[in-house]
Amino acid sequence: MFALLGTNGAGKTSTVEVVEGLSRPAAGTVSVLGHDPFRERSLVRPRVGVMLQEGGFPPDLTVTETTKMWAGTLTSPRPVDEALSLVDLAHRASVRVKQLSGGERRRLDLALALLGKPEVLFLDEPTTGLDPESRRNTWELIRSLLREGVTVLLTTHYLEEAQALADRLAIMHRGRIVAQGTVSEVVDAYPARISFVPPAGVPLPVVSDVDASGRVTVRTNNLQETLYELLAWAHANSVELSGLDARSASLEEAFLAIAEEAA
Amino acid sequence: MRAVAVGQAELKLFWRNRTALFNSLVLPLLIVPALMAVDADGEPLLVGLVGFVLVMAVYYNLVTTFVARREELVLKRLRVGELTDPEILFGASLPSVVVALGQMALFAVIVGVATDASLPSRPWFLVMGVVGGVVMFVLLAAASSAFTRTVEMAQVTTLPVLVACLIGSGLFFPMSVVPEGVATVLRLLPLTPVLDLVRASWDDGPVLRPLTVLAVWIGLGTYAVRRWFRWDPRR
Repeated sequence: MFALLGTNGAGKTSTVEVVEGLSRPAAGTVSVLGHDPFRERSLVRPRVGVMLQEGGFPPDLTVTETTKMWAGTLTSPRPVDEALSLVDLAHRASVRVKQLSGGERRRLDLALALLGKPEVLFLDEPTTGLDPESRRNTWELIRSLLREGVTVLLTTHYLEEAQALADRLAIMHRGRIVAQGTVSEVVDAYPARISFVPPAGVPLPVVSDVDASGRVTVRTNNLQETLYELLAWAHANSVELSGLDARSASLEEAFLAIAEEAA
Repeated sequence: MRAVAVGQAELKLFWRNRTALFNSLVLPLLIVPALMAVDADGEPLLVGLVGFVLVMAVYYNLVTTFVARREELVLKRLRVGELTDPEILFGASLPSVVVALGQMALFAVIVGVATDASLPSRPWFLVMGVVGGVVMFVLLAAASSAFTRTVEMAQVTTLPVLVACLIGSGLFFPMSVVPEGVATVLRLLPLTPVLDLVRASWDDGPVLRPLTVLAVWIGLGTYAVRRWFRWDPRR
């Protein structure tokens, strides 16, 4: 799985739409399964599944009718019931689409994307609007697809989703990729943080930033050493570090740092 | 055929849409007395009804269908699947076209029974006129939908074609009552050649010019759809 992350308006969806073959690239070339997805649509489409950021369903069709309609357009579809059970929608089969909740609609969209047994799956924010349980179930479903050998291109706002599922990822900002690699490669480029509020007027042994509320943030590439140093110093001098918080770099830290740097 | 799956779904939606049902099934029945009052003869009445069905059941209904499906993001969704663009348009048009052909057949039976209309002597021109007319109005509807932001706006954006066709194409009066110069212009309207062809299957009228005008409109419609048709809403 490759995950595409980015600030709002960074161009994730535009990028994905070009890769899906919905729009023609302004410059450069795109290749999906060895073909141009825009010009050789008929060669690429039978082998890919697409979940758009916003699913387009006629509100007055039922879940089953919608899925059957989609199956009718595919070369080798899964059985409709199977696709609906994959996303836990079997019990809502005879409900009209307009009566579905936002999360159920996302799952219907995912069912349609899976209906053609795709080799490559495009998921544009697949878990937006899902409750935590449905999100976990969707993650499990995606993991099992990955195990079966399906390639997934994911865009998401949830950084923990990318961290949990992605093999590789890229972070976009204002139309450009600003960081890419495996999760640990991207994360390791950013320092860990220690923050706390020291008593007033005490000189600190480490380099730090202080914000308006007096909270101190220390950035370090060696969390263990720096934290030890700091705690040993505090202990020796009987200094209380209130609200102490130490965290290793996470995707969230990396993402925020990128958004901040660029702002 | 894959596009039929879309057509079947559209047909279900059509049955669940009261406005579309009314426009397609009730409105044409209301026009029968109006046309009968103008001209009680069999063939002109049938010609007028064919024109009316093409404009209302095919053109007007399809503009609203295309706009509704675009704004619901259905067209965009269909476009990420395996169907080609023409297949999507064909599938979405299918129910309106089927209903329109059904209406025409029904009217033909009604008029045939109620008046002493004869069978056409050259039925192939009737077929060409109807088929050509359907294709042309599907294309014009797709083109008009590009300039229609919402379903409600369709009432306004379809007016030019509706007015031009209903008033200018000899639906309510024969071409012979207008001055020759005006008639020449009116013959270039999209519906006029269709009606001329349908009429020609009874009265041996000229067919070359209407066939040419119809072909040009189909060409223009195809160009307009390729150039302007929108698959997703303006954001």
